Amino acid sequence: MSLKKKILLLFVAVFLAIQFIIPAHNKSGQVLPTDFAKVFTAPANVQSTLQNACYDCHSNNTNYPWYSNIQPMAWVMARHISKGKAKLNFSGFGSNTTRKQISKLKEILNQIKDSEMPIPSYKLMHKSARLSQDEKTLLINWLQATADSLSVSN
Amino acid sequence: MKNAFTKDNTSEAATAGKTLQAAFINFDTKTLSAQQQKIFTDIADDAKEHAEHIGANGGNIAHQREHFDMLSKDMADLIQTFGNGGQTLYKDFCPMYNKGKGAYWISETKEIKNPYLGKAMPTCGTVKEEIKQ
Repeated sequence: MSLKKKILLLFVAVFLAIQFIIPAHNKSGQVLPTDFAKVFTAPANVQSTLQNACYDCHSNNTNYPWYSNIQPMAWVMARHISKGKAKLNFSGFGSNTTRKQISKLKEILNQIKDSEMPIPSYKLMHKSARLSQDEKTLLINWLQATADSLSVSN
Repeated sequence: MKNAFTKDNTSEAATAGKTLQAAFINFDTKTLSAQQQKIFTDIADDAKEHAEHIGANGGNIAHQREHFDMLSKDMADLIQTFGNGGQTLYKDFCPMYNKGKGAYWISETKEIKNPYLGKAMPTCGTVKEEIKQ
């Protein structure tokens, strides 16, 4: 067997082997009382945009695409999700203090405004996460108004 | 930190962010009353995250300033509850930041040195409140 063939065979073997290393799925299946959707009564288009563009990495329920069944894709995703949830988790939004909720709302707003979020690799694979200018404006205005009203009542 | 922002110095601001974050984490709340502890924890939990972001984002001064805006609100609330520590402070207001929504900052000098606009508009802003002992 030539060296080239051996190397190729090794790659195939490693690829097949890693298919058995599957990280746990981020899917609780339930909507907590602290979920963003329950804490705020956002207009349906605001909530659905957040769900389409943010919830995969920032909530307890990820919608897994088909390629997540091929490794090492799921590993990359698991890392993104755990990092994303550590910073912001829409499922547990209501367990933050009001002060923190206001900060988080403003941070979400800034990330959208500065086009920092959603991240490019995610947008590449998820059409619905590519926010149009109208969608951005809709989210920014609602987030600002909500943060302001929370600030006033506290 | 505020002085670093007035000079548009992003790395100095980051260093200050890390120092402040550590100060919030290491602060001993045992000297406070139960009521004070509650208020302090509420503010510090939020403030240390802003300090962390400022510390981690050296090189991205726009992002650092977004957090500085929110941090300034926390600092103002801290001072309101716990006093100014014996130093006269000034609560200043920049009317232009945030697309005309404006933003506050706390300063130790009466002279305006704007941390949001930096060298571009160093003297923009007004003193809104003098915080005396």
